[in-house]
Amino acid sequence: MNLFAAISTEPALWSPEWLPRLPQRLVEMLLGFLGAPEWLVSIAGFLVAAGTVVGVFLGGFALLSLIERKTLARIQNRIGPNRAGWFGILQPVADGIKMLTKEDIVPAKAEKFLHLLAPILIVVPAILALGVIPYGREWTPVSLELGLLFFFAVGSLTELSVFIAGWASGSKFPMLGAMRAISQMVSYELPLIISALGVVMVSGTLSLPLIVEQQGGFHLGFIPAWNLFTPWGFFAGILFFICSIAEANRCPFDLPEGESEIVAGHMTEYSGFKYALFFMGEYLGLFAISALGITLFLGGWQAPLPGLGFLPSWIWFFGKLAIVIFMFLWIRGTYPRVRIDQLMRFAWLCMIPMALLTLPAAGIWTILNRDGHGFLAWAITVPLLLIPCVIVTVIFNRRLASANRTYRFAE
Amino acid sequence: MIPLLILSPLILLAAIGAVWMARPVHAALMLALTLALVAVLYLALGAEFIGLVQFAVYVGAVAVLIVFSLLITRPGDEAEEIERRPRSLVTGLLCTLPVMAVLAYTAASGSNIKLIPWQPKLSIAELGEVLFTSHAPAVLALAVLLTAVLIGAALFAREPDKTQDDSSEK
Amino acid sequence: MKTGKPTRWVLPGLGLFQGLAVTGKNMVQSFYKKERMTTVQYPEERAPISPNFRNFPFLVYDKDPKAGLRCTACSICEKECPPQCIYIVLDRDENGKSLKRPKVFDIDLSVCMNCGICSEVCPFDSIYMDGEYELSTDDRFGGLLFGLDRLSKSAEYHMKLRPEQASEVMARRKADEEKKAAAAAAKLAKAKADAEAKKAEAEAKAAEGKGEDA
Repeated sequence: MNLFAAISTEPALWSPEWLPRLPQRLVEMLLGFLGAPEWLVSIAGFLVAAGTVVGVFLGGFALLSLIERKTLARIQNRIGPNRAGWFGILQPVADGIKMLTKEDIVPAKAEKFLHLLAPILIVVPAILALGVIPYGREWTPVSLELGLLFFFAVGSLTELSVFIAGWASGSKFPMLGAMRAISQMVSYELPLIISALGVVMVSGTLSLPLIVEQQGGFHLGFIPAWNLFTPWGFFAGILFFICSIAEANRCPFDLPEGESEIVAGHMTEYSGFKYALFFMGEYLGLFAISALGITLFLGGWQAPLPGLGFLPSWIWFFGKLAIVIFMFLWIRGTYPRVRIDQLMRFAWLCMIPMALLTLPAAGIWTILNRDGHGFLAWAITVPLLLIPCVIVTVIFNRRLASANRTYRFAE
Repeated sequence: MIPLLILSPLILLAAIGAVWMARPVHAALMLALTLALVAVLYLALGAEFIGLVQFAVYVGAVAVLIVFSLLITRPGDEAEEIERRPRSLVTGLLCTLPVMAVLAYTAASGSNIKLIPWQPKLSIAELGEVLFTSHAPAVLALAVLLTAVLIGAALFAREPDKTQDDSSEK
Repeated sequence: MKTGKPTRWVLPGLGLFQGLAVTGKNMVQSFYKKERMTTVQYPEERAPISPNFRNFPFLVYDKDPKAGLRCTACSICEKECPPQCIYIVLDRDENGKSLKRPKVFDIDLSVCMNCGICSEVCPFDSIYMDGEYELSTDDRFGGLLFGLDRLSKSAEYHMKLRPEQASEVMARRKADEEKKAAAAAAKLAKAKADAEAKKAEAEAKAAEGKGEDA
């Protein structure tokens, strides 16, 4: 079982890089000291390593649920939660207690087992996906050769669990929400994966730690050699970002749970802890997809400027994560929700063609750069991407976005 | 061997569930479970790439598409379905006969089946190279077929009275 | 565009960034621009209430909460109250003579609809609408029935709550009082004059009588 095998090489003792893996090492040393057998030590170490990641991101989830409310409040010139604890720092705790003590209601028409299964199935893939991300130079919880593929494979489970949630609730709004969610996620998964493919083409590997390592170094001494700062990477990164907003079901693509239209979509019939699990799954998914975006386009744990390498690499990773998450919040606070037909049109008429174009651009870029024609690479790929982008935007803006929608049933 | 022993009964059970469930949605979910378990089996046998692709494509796309098409269609009568079961069972068993025959023939004819020695793992780069060099015609044919299917689906999905709509808009 | 007029060409997608700029400005400025943040942290701070804000009646007293009560228990408000939430019992001394003050004055908060008719009809400037709004209680019965002790509030409170109305009332009352005092003085003077006149008359009569006698 190669899946659980390779935990990356041992870092030097007491280096700051080592810090996130301190619990794992401590447990391993303790068990080794107590004379536990080898397999027990490794299993315990693995559990603790997994627990560290889950713990970090559950903490991040709690913090984000507060920060999101605070940020949105500031955008709307409000203050936000500030009652529980110092500046509302205990608000997540209060929310958690509230969620846990609420009554768990299962509708009479629900499929009991599937109704229970769905919230679990939504958290599991998010946590699994978080496991393969390289958080630091020495901190990749599970270093897989096929990390990217693994990420998308487990990520695709989310659609199924959303469907199960919508269908098992046995009522209308969850069903509608599930239909919207599935059509949206299927449509946006395509450009998401295609835009990630460019990175795979250029780096020639599916292993996430290797992809990050290839983005090390600097152009001209100060521009980091991240994929974002190449023409194809710039476009692919933006496409990836837009798609990840849609995949994470966040505003302006939050149709599956648009509360003004279909209550809460597939989560309508859930309450108490199950609802909290959905909430958690959604935020963990957001973390996972942002982490993947950072890994692919923003250089993962690489420092943004030369000479900043003295800080431990995972600090850079989480700093970038914070910025990306803030972009999500900012966008949520700014844009209104799109209509379902606009959403689908945008996916199939703008995103997918542009994502497909990044592939030849990435190929041309790689070949020309390999042969040393750096300038030619820029000269070809920039127009190759920019001109279609402008055309697509103008057409979409003129014709499609403003096209009147015909209502067949509600006139 | 151990993963095979544990997983194959599970896969069989899930597969039987997929054909036995009266509700189409249950059947589809059992199908998804079957496909996922097959993916796990691949992973357990060390074929990581094929396992993950199986998971991404079959569980993530095929099962979701089946489920989605179930969402937008009207469900049939369950009682009727249950009533129809004996006949369906006979038909289904008849359909499996060729497969069974092949399996039986292989099992009977072959004491010459030997365990395949552990192959060095195929790297993805090699896989890609094989796909796009020696197997390129097959890949291209598949791509053409899929494109044709996509265009056909788009044509079917198009509203037939599009021109009228356009004229009424003006 | 359906209107034939050619619209000015703008960069497609520019609006997205303009929107982000607006919200970003909102967020940054909310940290240092006081006028942006209109939230009032309620239990600690309160928004100032308008003098026109009227919620629940109260009784005004001058100086002494017991003796200074302006209410004379005339029961006009009790009769006028549309939902009949006022209950008044006149205070009497042991002989059954009216003391012109309420013994019981209850207003039921759960019934009162804050119409303010009681304050309109009161001829003694005694009952006015309050600005109090934190009236909720966990005691459904006792807590919602306001007796004299909770209804009586000083004239200063009234002045603070609604200065314009209160000063007008005070001025009128003062004028009335002065008038009354003047009237009383006039009466007194008149009585004195009358007495004197009587006395003079009596004296004159006496003198006359004497004179007649003599």
